[in-house]
Amino acid sequence: MDLSYLFFLSSGLFLGWSLGANDAANIFGTAVGSKMVRFSLIATIASIFVILGAVFGGAGTSETLGDLGAVDALAGSFMVALSAALAVYLMLRVGITVSTSQAIVGSIIGWNLYAGKETDLKTLAEIISTWTICPIVSGIIAVVLYLCLKKLIKCSSLHLLRQDQLTRIGLIITAAIGAYALGANNIANVVGVFVQSCPFKPLKFNGLITLTPEQVLFLLGSIAISVGILTYSKKAIMTVGNNLMRMSPVIALIVVLSQSLVLLLFSSQTLHNWLEASSLPTLPLVPVSSSQAVIGAILGIGLIKGGRGVNWGIVRRIAVGWCAAPLMAMLICFVSLFFLANVFNQTVYFTD
Amino acid sequence: MFNIKLSIFSTTRDLEQKIDQMHDKVIESSMFFKEAFDIYMREKRSSNYRRVSKKIKNIEAEADDLRREIESSLYIHNLIPDLRADVLQMVENIDKVINEFDEVAHKFYIEQPDIPQKFRDNFKVLVQQVSDCAENMAISSRAFFRDFATVRDYARKVYFLEHESDKTWAALKQEVFESDMELAHKIQLNSLIGEVADIADKAEDCIDAVLIFTIKRDI
Repeated sequence: MDLSYLFFLSSGLFLGWSLGANDAANIFGTAVGSKMVRFSLIATIASIFVILGAVFGGAGTSETLGDLGAVDALAGSFMVALSAALAVYLMLRVGITVSTSQAIVGSIIGWNLYAGKETDLKTLAEIISTWTICPIVSGIIAVVLYLCLKKLIKCSSLHLLRQDQLTRIGLIITAAIGAYALGANNIANVVGVFVQSCPFKPLKFNGLITLTPEQVLFLLGSIAISVGILTYSKKAIMTVGNNLMRMSPVIALIVVLSQSLVLLLFSSQTLHNWLEASSLPTLPLVPVSSSQAVIGAILGIGLIKGGRGVNWGIVRRIAVGWCAAPLMAMLICFVSLFFLANVFNQTVYFTD
Repeated sequence: MFNIKLSIFSTTRDLEQKIDQMHDKVIESSMFFKEAFDIYMREKRSSNYRRVSKKIKNIEAEADDLRREIESSLYIHNLIPDLRADVLQMVENIDKVINEFDEVAHKFYIEQPDIPQKFRDNFKVLVQQVSDCAENMAISSRAFFRDFATVRDYARKVYFLEHESDKTWAALKQEVFESDMELAHKIQLNSLIGEVADIADKAEDCIDAVLIFTIKRDI
């Protein structure tokens, strides 16, 4: 295998690290922030499940990103991933949690613009529509879960201490599901642009499991996400914090569960096939933002409680971040591709 | 996994029992306080009174131990981290009510006040009201752990009884100072009446805090 591939892949791995650091806050930020679960325990569980999700459920969403812009040169892929990673990292530094999905889409469009390739507007529209659908679906799921759980708690008369212990166990389970869903849905953001130039060979583990070259690439990307979770997510949790709305542990559980379900809905090939076979409207298999799903869920609950307690200033700040991240990534990508091509003499795209 | 789950619940079960016992202590001390007062009215500082007063003292000591055990248990096992401070405050408030019962009973024992016949009915009403107030506070506070609607129902009762006890206290105080007793006697009775009425005030403080915790915790 060409070693230069690994060098170029490093930007994807950096993006994976950023995604791990940034999005882990959505999966278990509230659990750690409220001291319900130890960081080391939940981060380890999330790291394992993010790898499982990426390797065994990550294929669907990477195809959609490929349709948006087939980044064909390795140096181009490098810069697309690096620009997205830089955009996420810079936003994180100023304390705004942003969407890696949006950043990568911005980057790919930046590459399309630079390479003079046409952006598939149908795919772009499909992706952008999910940026609206995802928080709405997440909000609806959160409201339904909230009403059901409220009723259940009222009927069960469970002692607060026992309720808390069950919530704690629930938070760990949903963090595992959330991490699996994050891996499955978001791995395309991390290494999706490298799929076209993937040089790996199938990998066999004791003859029991065989990973396709694409899965080997996903494995590497997901390991980077795990490293991000283990090394930097605690800091991200503390920076981004839990300041959008004060959440009780039960609400935190609902938020994480809604987010996990939304991510699974948008990445499950099985569900997609089933809906298609049943002639029902399908959900696009698109990498959606876990941040958007979380915020949709929090706002859903906040609104059903009468809108009180929601920090609208922070909502606005986050919304600005969502618009700024793809634009920033696009700009960084466009300018950097120019330097990469003209200063470092790298081929960043192939002419048709 | 199964063993871990069991051990997690055994910790909470133990703490649940201790919190329940803490609330039981309020009701016990309230009942013994009423009994002690009745005995005092009949027999003043008799051996009988001493026996009941000692029971209240023991309850108070047991409540102190329970409070310390609950506090350390909450921290050692990292239970309800978001509500830990609230529960600790609640337990401390409950302990203050129990302490007040003990202090008043002890004051009767030490000072042996002479309560003229004409004040006795009102005094008895006041004792009944503050005891009921404390008992309802215990029910409301206990319900915080299981059923928030009950917290509000009994909180209303606590507020009502506290208000009634205030009225009784004011009337009694006026009667005392309008009487022709010696000033020292008037001051002694006034201080005693004030301390009895304080029990309801402390119960009310406890419920104020519980209601805020309920709002914080309500999903």
